Amino acid sequence: MIERYAALIRNAWLVDLQYRASIVLWLLWGVTEPAIALGIWWAIAGDGSVAGYARADFARYFFAVMLINQLTIAWDSWYLDRWIREGDLNYRLARPLHPAHEAVAENIAYKARTASVILVVWLLVAAAWPAVRLPFEPGRWAITAVAVLLAAAMRFFISFTTGLLAFWTTRATSIMELHAGVSLFLAGRIAPLALLPPAVAGVAGVLWFRSMLAFPVDLLTGAVHGTDAVLRGLAAQLVWLGVWIAAFRLAWSRGIRRYGAVGG
Amino acid sequence: MRAPRWLGLLGAFLRLNVAEELQYRANFVASVLGTLFSMATALLTLALFFHHTTTLGGWDYWEIVVLLGVFNALTGVIEAVLRPGIGQLAGEVRSGELDLVLVKPVDAQGFVSFRRLDIWRITDVVLGLALAGYALFRLGHTPSLPQLAAFGVTLAAAAVVVYAIWVVLMSLAFWFVSVENIAVLFDAVYEGARYPVSAYPGALRFVFVYLIPIAWTTTIPASALTGRLRPELALVAALVAGLAFAFARALWRAAQKRYAGASG
Repeated sequence: MIERYAALIRNAWLVDLQYRASIVLWLLWGVTEPAIALGIWWAIAGDGSVAGYARADFARYFFAVMLINQLTIAWDSWYLDRWIREGDLNYRLARPLHPAHEAVAENIAYKARTASVILVVWLLVAAAWPAVRLPFEPGRWAITAVAVLLAAAMRFFISFTTGLLAFWTTRATSIMELHAGVSLFLAGRIAPLALLPPAVAGVAGVLWFRSMLAFPVDLLTGAVHGTDAVLRGLAAQLVWLGVWIAAFRLAWSRGIRRYGAVGG
Repeated sequence: MRAPRWLGLLGAFLRLNVAEELQYRANFVASVLGTLFSMATALLTLALFFHHTTTLGGWDYWEIVVLLGVFNALTGVIEAVLRPGIGQLAGEVRSGELDLVLVKPVDAQGFVSFRRLDIWRITDVVLGLALAGYALFRLGHTPSLPQLAAFGVTLAAAAVVVYAIWVVLMSLAFWFVSVENIAVLFDAVYEGARYPVSAYPGALRFVFVYLIPIAWTTTIPASALTGRLRPELALVAALVAGLAFAFARALWRAAQKRYAGASG
């Protein structure tokens, strides 16, 4: 299995390498949204603070969002939608390996590339701008790495499962965009959850949205205090990961029976 | 090229595309729902900002809603006219099919820009202007005749500036042929036009006014409508639009020289 994965990742890495310019574009696209949000909160905070967030806190928060969003984002619903509609799924089904493994390998190659670019940029910016520096806490970083891994796995299954809806409808990608619109607020992309009205932030915590992004980001910036809060956050991530894996298995087994391949 | 022939060509494009789109009427409903959803997201984001402040860059809530209306109207122009054609262009540059466009006895830039239309997205223009109108009503501001005239001029100038930015991006396709999704770069930059430029830190404001002139696309028309802008200044906007267009045209010409054709 490890050999297979090494081959798949190598393959995905080489394919990406042909489209370097394209990767830079997606990277820019991923960075501008948090940058603009930071610009606006920067203006609002002024010399004071908003709900405990001063300018430097916003800067750290949105730099962490740039990095962790890039590490956890999954484009698979778009690929699956195309595979299913255009019949590209056929030869993937003929392989002695579940197509999800190829998707996972692609995710690893893509994230390794883009996230390392962001990390380098962050380090360069931090060298000149103390506001975005993080305190040196290896323990916290290790826990964050676990949370990022869980979030990435969950977002992969969300995206893959939503893409599988293409077995039933031609608008699977619209559903994913709807989810992206909601997660703008509930996952903390536009503002730290602490700045949302409490009821809305509560919904984000009960559903899977906080586990997607806001929780690992808050872990990294130090907004989550205490072993108790950390454990509860990780537990929520595990529970929702389990739920989405179950949804994925259900959608796959039902959908594949329905699938009438295109072409032939 | 003489003007009447131009109009005839545009008319032909329009007829073709209307005939094609009428086959897919369900797309109309989906398109309107999509627009309403993105407008709601934008308004909620704004409400979140104003939950923590009373002005943003010196503008109050309903003034920025006027700006969002303008933003939406321009998005409609982009989605209806500009976006449908650009993916095709990148593919044609790579495969050499652009030969078929270049040998046609029409202006290649005009042909490439306007051949594909997504007529349903015209509704975005209507919805955007309606939102701006409602926001003006909530502001209790009735624009005077000079203000309306200035709005008309600045909005037309805004459409030209957006088009010029778009042509610059299309020209880049000749240098980076692998870029199928160069439109992503536009989305990234255009995110910044959602808010008045005065809300951004100084350096970013400079970029948006002089280098990537998106300030002229939303901030200026909205200012004309709410009476922030002296109506005479609309002429400056027209001048900026002329300059942007001339620059884009020159770049397009230079880019075309790099194109070697199918045999290259």
